[in-house]
Order: sequence, then C-alpha cells, then structure tokens
Amino acid sequence: MKAVGARLPRYDGVAHVTGRTKYVADWSVQGMLACKGLRSPHHSARIVSVDTSKAEKHPGVFAVATHKDMPKNIVGHLEALGVPADEPYLAEDEVRYKGQLIGGVAAIDEATAIEALALIDVKYEVREPFLDIRKAFDPDQPQLTEKGNVFFYDPYDHRKVTKGDVDAAFEKADVIVKGSYRPSAIEQAPIEPQGCLVIPESDGRLTVHTCTQAMYFTMGVLAEHLQRAPGSIKLVGGTVGGGFGGKVDSATEPLAAVLALKARRPVRWIFTREEEMLCGSVRASWHVEIADAVTKDGWILGRKVLTLHDAGGYTRFSSYGATKHSFHLAGAYTVPALRTRAYVVWTNHVPTTAMRGFGVTSASFAVELQMTRIATMLELDPWEFRLKNANRPGDLMPTRKLLEDPSTIDTIQACAEAVGHPLSATYRDMKNEPRSGEWLPDHLRDQAANAKLGNPQGAAR
Amino acid sequence: MHLIVNGVEHEIRSDALTSLLRVLREELFVMSPKAGCEQGGCGACTVLIDGQPRRACLTPVAAIDGASVTTVEGLSDGVELAPIQQAFFDGYAAQCGFCSPGMMMAATALLAETPHASREQIMEALEGHICRCTGYVKIIAAVESVTKAGAV
Repeated sequence: MKAVGARLPRYDGVAHVTGRTKYVADWSVQGMLACKGLRSPHHSARIVSVDTSKAEKHPGVFAVATHKDMPKNIVGHLEALGVPADEPYLAEDEVRYKGQLIGGVAAIDEATAIEALALIDVKYEVREPFLDIRKAFDPDQPQLTEKGNVFFYDPYDHRKVTKGDVDAAFEKADVIVKGSYRPSAIEQAPIEPQGCLVIPESDGRLTVHTCTQAMYFTMGVLAEHLQRAPGSIKLVGGTVGGGFGGKVDSATEPLAAVLALKARRPVRWIFTREEEMLCGSVRASWHVEIADAVTKDGWILGRKVLTLHDAGGYTRFSSYGATKHSFHLAGAYTVPALRTRAYVVWTNHVPTTAMRGFGVTSASFAVELQMTRIATMLELDPWEFRLKNANRPGDLMPTRKLLEDPSTIDTIQACAEAVGHPLSATYRDMKNEPRSGEWLPDHLRDQAANAKLGNPQGAAR
Repeated sequence: MHLIVNGVEHEIRSDALTSLLRVLREELFVMSPKAGCEQGGCGACTVLIDGQPRRACLTPVAAIDGASVTTVEGLSDGVELAPIQQAFFDGYAAQCGFCSPGMMMAATALLAETPHASREQIMEALEGHICRCTGYVKIIAAVESVTKAGAV
C-alpha cells in the first residue's frame, strides 16, 4: 500500500510540460480536408428547401452533406435508459435552435469550406420562438412538438417525488417560506474547442481521432448514425483539453465521418470558439420554486417544489438531469414530508448536456439559498439552522433511501471552523449520530421508526 | 519573410496576414502553442517574440518578419527540462495541459526580467491566461518555486 497517499509523477506530465501531448487539433494526415458546419441563423424555422448544388461545384470542395447523407439521422443519447430519440443530428424539415447543424462541407482548406457554406441556399420560414420556460403550459405560446412543450415521463408529464404527509406538515407550520431560484445556463468552456479527425482507411475501417470524454459512448453513437458495426470504427483519444461535461455529445464525429466517407479523404473538424460558446450544448438553466413549512424554532416540517428545466430544442440529457435534480431537492438536510414536481420544458434554446453534477447543482443552488432565506426570516444563525436540520444516520432521503453515514454535520462544522464562524456549544459539539433526545422531534419519529424496522421503503403514512 | 523559431531560421511562405499561430502550427508544425479561442482571449497561444510574451493568434506574421520566436519546444535542451517545466511537472501545475504552454511562456518572460518576482507580480504576469480546470493555485505555486530556487 505504498502508493496510497504518495505523490506519484503524472504519466502524461512530461508530455504536457514539453508541449508534446497530442490533442485532437494537433493530429494531421496527408490529404486531410477541413470541415465546416452549416448552422441555423434562426431560433425557430421551418426549412423549406436546401440547395447544395452551387457549393458542390465550388473549386476545392470535395463533399457536401445534409441529413439525406446520414444513414440514421435520429439517434437518442439515452435510448438505453428509455428516453425516446427526438433529435435529428442534421436538421431535416425544421430548426429548433439558433446554431442547429443543418449540414456541412469538406474542402481543401478552411477558407474554401467557409466560402462553400455561403453558397448553400437554405430557404427558411421563420417562426416565433418559444424561449420562456415559465410559459410552458401556455397554449398561446409556440409549440415545439405535436404534444406540446413538455417532455413526457411515462406515466406523468413530470418527474414526481413524494414522501410523507405534505399537507399535514403545511397545516402544522408556524411559517411558510417561499422562494424562486433561477440558475442560468452555463457553457462548459473548455480551452480546447471540441473536434475530431476521421480517416477512412484502405481496409474499410474508420480511424477517428477525437477529444470525446466518453470513448465507448461516442463509438456507439457514431456506429448507430453510420449504421456500421462498432468494430469497424477505431477511436483514438483519451487526451482531452478540458471537457467538464461538454464533450460527451459526439457533436463533431458523425458529420466529419459522413463527409470523409463521401469524399474518401480524411476530414478534420475543429469547432471555432464561437461554435463552442454558441452552438455547443450547455448546462441547463432552471426555474425552481420552493415552499417550506417551518417552525419558529427552525425545524423544516415539509417542502413543496416546482421545477422547470430548460431543455432547449431537444431532450438530449435533460430528462436524466431533471431526475437527478428531483432526488436531491432536500439537499443535505432531512425533510420528512416532501412533494416535488420537475418538468422538462423544450424551448428554442441550445439543448443541454452534462456539466459536473448536472441536475444536482441546480438543486443545491436553490436549496442552499432557500436555507439562508429561512434562517434570515426566522432570525436564526444560518449555520446552526443547517446543522439542526442536517442529515443523520438513519434519516431518509426524498426517495426514502436510508442514509447510513451522511457527512453534513462534520462538513458544516469543518467549514465553520475554516472560515472562523463561531458556533454555540450545542452545535460545535453536535455528533453525526442517529437521532435521539432533542434531535428526535415528533415530526421525525415516523421516519426514524421506519428506518429502525429496516423498512426505509415503507411510507411514513 | 523569415522567422527564427527556437534558434532555427525558417523562410516563411504563408500569406503575410496569416497569424503567427497558424504559421507555427500549420507551416512549421510547432504544435505547443494552442488555438483556444483565436481571439486573444485565453492565452493558450502565447509565445515569446524577441523575448516578449505575445498572443500568436493576434500577430500577423508579416508584422514580425525577421523576429526571434520562442515556444515551449525551445525551452529545454532536449535532455533536461527547463526549471519552469520541471516546476510545472513537479507541482502538478499542468492538469489537462492545454493552457500550460501559454502559462509557461508568460512565466518564462517574467522570470527572465524579474528572477525573484513576487507572488503579486506572478499573478499579474499570468493575468489573461485562462485555466478552465481552475488549477491556478498550483500554477502560481510552480512559478513561485522557481523564483525561490533562483534558477531560471
């Protein structure tokens, strides 16, 4: 066990400090073409026609691709989890967000590819965009799908978590504290823009240099789009110049691959910084409304939450993010009665994807601001209010998952010490132990009883 | 046009307005300067032009005809790492590594002029270099370790 705690040299450290690490844009091969993507200038539009004939004839252009060239255009990222595929990789008869990919060009160099893009004639019928998730259920707003603007979680139109008797908790409360919290969309913004280099090999295989964060995921998505066996695609990667979640979508590989197969030449596509910021998928923006039933002395008896999640034009990872979000709406605290409803709303914004705990961070943001708001209203120390309601061994999460060894108390105490916030003796000496005495008030007895019976799944009532 | 890149003279055939970054990467295959934004915003393409740290992406090659350009490839003798490289390696200052070449070049320029630069001077010299892995503490500590060792 000599390695545990030891400071080992990084295996890639010398390459990093000598500039020899090969990121995706550092690869080049003979005959390589440059790719550029054709993107929608509109938030929402019907595509009437796409004419690529002039671009195809432009000197230096080797291939032009639209959705008709993609063997399977609609592939869901989370089909294996039961999320229906809804996103065409290359737009077909409509665009649902500004920057949506419609097609692309492979040309002798970037400048020629950009010239050719300008020669592609797309006729749009521009539509009124839908951009405000708070109007998700307004029938007068533009509707993104035939079934409206809200994702359907079979059998509900939202992700629902219910625990305990929420109505009784609100009847018993001394105070109801309400707050709305709106974390905005965030671009992962790796310093390395994403990209790939696809090389059609003479044996029929494709070699794909890529900066993907998820090699096998990307291999699967690409194989599905191309309708090829995964074994005919060799991915070369693992060197990522920062990803932070933004490089799991296989954004560049399918177009570069289709163009490479069409042109029979290697094709490299590296996003510009503008594409990375404007067209690459983001961490979602959210609207979270919390109402808490609290007692004057600072116990949380119950909580109701309404969440609206801005999915952008297509579902992508949003339904999964909103599920994670729902499971964490009690935060690091024990809320015995809880009713949450999370709606995934399609809008004409850029679709969303992973970013460092996506879904959960929005829950933490809303819950922590709400905790401070409650403490401020009740004129309690916000640290001690958190410690009072902190998760303990034997408590149940919103999903009734039994907590065996939560770390809320130890963490808050350590933070208070680190920043020099004085705690009263009661809270300084508080231990991460199962509830008893003053820390087992009546409203927490039911879940404590359930946990003791080894029956965390059993509803309190 | 001519450039002396890491001590070797090259005739440059790119168009006059081609950025130094593109010349280095696409004509001379000097790959350590990185294209993070190509707008002068991230610092990943920083090289030394006659000893001064400059954004290669914002420098038209014609504007520096005849200049001497140093990149990370020119920092070491090929046998031993330069002190700044050793410090980045030892101090885990390169995480994903993409911003590291620009960081090291900015630090090299600072240390050449101010071998015992203060922490504040280090932070000032690295301003405008974005590390999205947010490894700033280790990066600053690595540069500081060189100022304390006194070897540049």
